[in-house]
Amino acid sequence: MNNMAGSLMQYNEIYWPWPIALYLFLAGLSAGCLMVSLIVKFNRFTHNTNSIWDATIKAGALISPLAISLGLLLLIIDLGKPLTFYLLLIKYNFTSVMTLGVLFLLVYTPLAFLYALIIFEREIGLYFRFLIPITNSIRKMANFAKMIEYVLFFLALCVGAYTGFLLSAISKIPLWNTPILPLLFVVSAFSCGIAANILVGILFFKAHLNKENIKYLLVLDLRAIMLEIPILLLLFVGMYYSGGESLISLKAIFSHEFYSKLFWFGVLGTGLILPILIALTALKNHAYKPAFIIINSLAVLVGVVMLRFFIVYAGQVCIS
Amino acid sequence: MKKFVMIHDENLCIGCEACSVACKNENQIPSGVFRVQVHAKMKGVFPNLQTDFTRASCVMCEDSPCVSVCPTGASFKLANGITLIDENLCVSCKYCILACPYNARFLNPITKAIDKCTFCYPNRVSDGLTPACVSVCPTDALIFGDINDNNSEVNKVLASKSVEYPKAHLGTKPKLGFIKNTKGGRYE
Ligand code: SF4
Ligand code: SF4
Ligand code: SF4
Repeated sequence: MNNMAGSLMQYNEIYWPWPIALYLFLAGLSAGCLMVSLIVKFNRFTHNTNSIWDATIKAGALISPLAISLGLLLLIIDLGKPLTFYLLLIKYNFTSVMTLGVLFLLVYTPLAFLYALIIFEREIGLYFRFLIPITNSIRKMANFAKMIEYVLFFLALCVGAYTGFLLSAISKIPLWNTPILPLLFVVSAFSCGIAANILVGILFFKAHLNKENIKYLLVLDLRAIMLEIPILLLLFVGMYYSGGESLISLKAIFSHEFYSKLFWFGVLGTGLILPILIALTALKNHAYKPAFIIINSLAVLVGVVMLRFFIVYAGQVCIS
Repeated sequence: MKKFVMIHDENLCIGCEACSVACKNENQIPSGVFRVQVHAKMKGVFPNLQTDFTRASCVMCEDSPCVSVCPTGASFKLANGITLIDENLCVSCKYCILACPYNARFLNPITKAIDKCTFCYPNRVSDGLTPACVSVCPTDALIFGDINDNNSEVNKVLASKSVEYPKAHLGTKPKLGFIKNTKGGRYE
């Protein structure tokens, strides 16, 4: 096109840049950590823990509210009018996935903080005495708290999935506009939740570490990773057979200098293949080697960050 | 009830960008961004070249993706078919820019809200005038009017010429139609 129309910038801009990619990661991380923490709590291995509060439960309870808070901060900063963010809280449009997300997060975020208060009750008694009234009142509603845990698990699932639906509602972008995306995001959120809980558990809550739990989680993580590969394959095969704009976009993504490499080396190599290799070699037969477990967790986390960046950027850049 | 429709006759269009300039002037659109542009696309093999002039702007979808994704209701539809943005409700999340299949929206660098063609409804059409771009077009390639008025010019054009609506398969039911180029803009 010979350009006599003036600047064409507005047609090529990346409207959702890195803060959104990072937010999608952090929301997934928060939801994943919380789900994993709850799963361990629901069926914990009580027989050989000195404390019922396992390190991975604590790690999840700690990461989850922090990650979602940081994520929401990024989201607000990225608005063109950050100071008007309160409008999102008072004006709803129920056909918008973003509104649904706001509603989930409105319940989820305070509950994630409450969950952390419950799990760290003892520490709060020691160091944050001003919060004691809150933990005491929760204690009085112990039965109720159990139910809240189930609600919280469900909400975490919603938060993980909505980040996928947020993108899949965009019909213009073939890489996003597929029902597979929410599934991919939930599975990878779960996987990075496991990795983060193990990592933080090993590094900060050594005293409450339960090797059985770690092994159990590593097995779960391996399954999640093994599931992610066919899901990704399905995503691309789907785009291939949709033809038209999807096919053009698919070709553009895999011939793109940077984003194709980001996928092969970052998403697939570091995030999926490396953990499988470690599981099959160093951690074979569920050996317990902290150094490799840490490397494994880091690889998974880096992979999931790359996945979010890949989806967000490659999707926007490579449209027909 | 009025229903506003615009038609761009690509055979009459000469790619002069008068519409784009008039729009900028009338609606005070900052430099670097546009509610409307006319894009020139050359096709064919020399010496049989043909240049198509296509209008890039909001097509006023009846079922607007931009409205359904907007979390605050800042993007909304009027009963007369026009899609508008309430600047004060827009948080500038840019979700609608991504959702619009016609790439019609942009971030207004001055207001920080999202901006796009309004069919000049707030400033001209509601007062009975025609949109700025329509009023300046030197070849009358732009036709605007009420489809429910049997005597309107758009109705005459719709009855006599074949009008295409862009990306019809998406089911957005645009209110901006195009008469495809069959001859115009040929370099010989
Ligand atoms: S063309 Fe884009 S901005 Fe205009 S109504 Fe349709 S979706 Fe909305
Ligand atoms: S940028 Fe503004 S108009 Fe667009 S979806 Fe967000 S709030 Fe609505
Ligand atoms: S109708 Fe008005 S706002 Fe739309 S392109 Fe024409 S002059 Fe600009």
